[in-house]
Amino acid sequence: MSRAIQVRVSESLTRTVHVEDGVVAPLELLPILPPARMAALLAHELAARGFRRDGRRCTRTEPDGLEVTLDLEAATVAVALGAHVQLDEAVELSAAVAVESDDQARAALRDRAHEVLGDRLAARTFALQRAVTARLEAKVAALKRELDAAIGRATVAALTEKAAELGRIEETHLDEAGNLTIRVRL
Amino acid sequence: MAEPARVAASEADLIALARALVAGPPADVRALLRRTRALPPMISTAAARLIGDALAQVWPALWRGSATGTGRPAAPRARFWQDHAPVGLTFSVATLQLLRWVLAGRAREPERDGGAAEALASEMPLTLGDQVMVYLALDATAGMAVQAQLAAQPLVRSAALAWLGFADRLGGPTGCEFDPLCRGAGAIVVEVLAPALARRWRAAELDKRGIAAPEALIALGAAQDSVLGGFMTACDRSGRRDLAGFVIDAAAPLVDRAIAPLPLALDPSATLASRSAARRAAGALLRGVATWAAWDRAHRGVRFIDDDYPTAQRLLARFEAISPAGAARAEAWLTELAALPTVPAGTVDAS
Repeated sequence: MSRAIQVRVSESLTRTVHVEDGVVAPLELLPILPPARMAALLAHELAARGFRRDGRRCTRTEPDGLEVTLDLEAATVAVALGAHVQLDEAVELSAAVAVESDDQARAALRDRAHEVLGDRLAARTFALQRAVTARLEAKVAALKRELDAAIGRATVAALTEKAAELGRIEETHLDEAGNLTIRVRL
Repeated sequence: MAEPARVAASEADLIALARALVAGPPADVRALLRRTRALPPMISTAAARLIGDALAQVWPALWRGSATGTGRPAAPRARFWQDHAPVGLTFSVATLQLLRWVLAGRAREPERDGGAAEALASEMPLTLGDQVMVYLALDATAGMAVQAQLAAQPLVRSAALAWLGFADRLGGPTGCEFDPLCRGAGAIVVEVLAPALARRWRAAELDKRGIAAPEALIALGAAQDSVLGGFMTACDRSGRRDLAGFVIDAAAPLVDRAIAPLPLALDPSATLASRSAARRAAGALLRGVATWAAWDRAHRGVRFIDDDYPTAQRLLARFEAISPAGAARAEAWLTELAALPTVPAGTVDAS
């Protein structure tokens, strides 16, 4: 008569996971002046907002890891956010089996434990990805407002320069709605 | 009086399928596909002749089909045999393969024989007649499970005409050459099918607003972009920009009613990268309109003394359905689709 024994298997898994999300979009910059000058005016506005210019690119890395890169020549903005975390998971499984099938039972439990660990890590990775995406969405909404403001100011500067090419600027008025009036004596 | 031809029952079904695809209605095709049957490897000469008789009716069937559906053609058109010299359509063995595959039903029930589905492939390039039959088969099986299986077959995916009409069903970028559809009998087929193409592309445009999976929309956009890009380039190369007129007819009512192809139901749990790519992909037809707008600007520069002035005038009139104002609206939608996504306040958990 075979004897029943309790088989217990403990497995743990540590995995370093990197998730990221990002988006690239065109910048809506009006071609009022030559592209190089428009890029310079926008770069000036961006510098006031913490961007660093490196050739054709302006970049800013925020404390939470959000990376914003504007390509002034291609007129695009790229926003990316990533997260790098170490995930630890442990599981303990047990089963009552006949003593002669001890080895097979342990192997089966170990396989099952690996499956459980894999599923849990996949679920945590997915949750982490969703969290990164949600944070990025919130950041993108704020960034869009900030970039719209910077582009608006660069556009005003470009219009002012253009007006100065036409004659002597006598008066400039920007109302609350963002409408710009420039009076020029030719 | 000659005796009626005698054919086997399975051959009679093949002949009936050929007639149903060519002359319709789709209900006849559905009735034929309700059951599966074993088909012998060869058909008799009498059956081949009767199938040939059915295929000889393709031209008038195309004309009738183009005028049915949601309504008559937008503008009165001359019958195509009044505009073009008679030109024959040739069919190869691929058409017979197609009929047999659709009728056999083995692909629809791969588990029946305990084996994998039989692939429908052709080693020879398809003739224009074969392509028309592939188009008609996809059209007749609309709404049936067999259409998706048919759309996955190599023979179907090698038919440029199938891509032009069913890019939304085939999915993924096409590798087909569209130049043969811009000259000779190919151009006449496209001309005849233009109203149907417009209806189908407009329906796909409306459907994409309800697509939830970003990957599905990206695949659809890739298919539509590659088809429209390839076809419009081929039209331009062949001096037949008018053949791309179905793009105008498909988009004009949507632009007019301000129905933008904005995907409203994208899965919010998908990454922002995939949702942004899906939004950009949704603008495929609008990019076709943008190409037309660029052509329109060029047509406006053609002077009275230039050789292609009459053609430019015809194409200017053709683009009036959208007009520069409509093109500007389409351009604004494209910008909106490509812009940084905005999220309504309170919908994002940024913790």
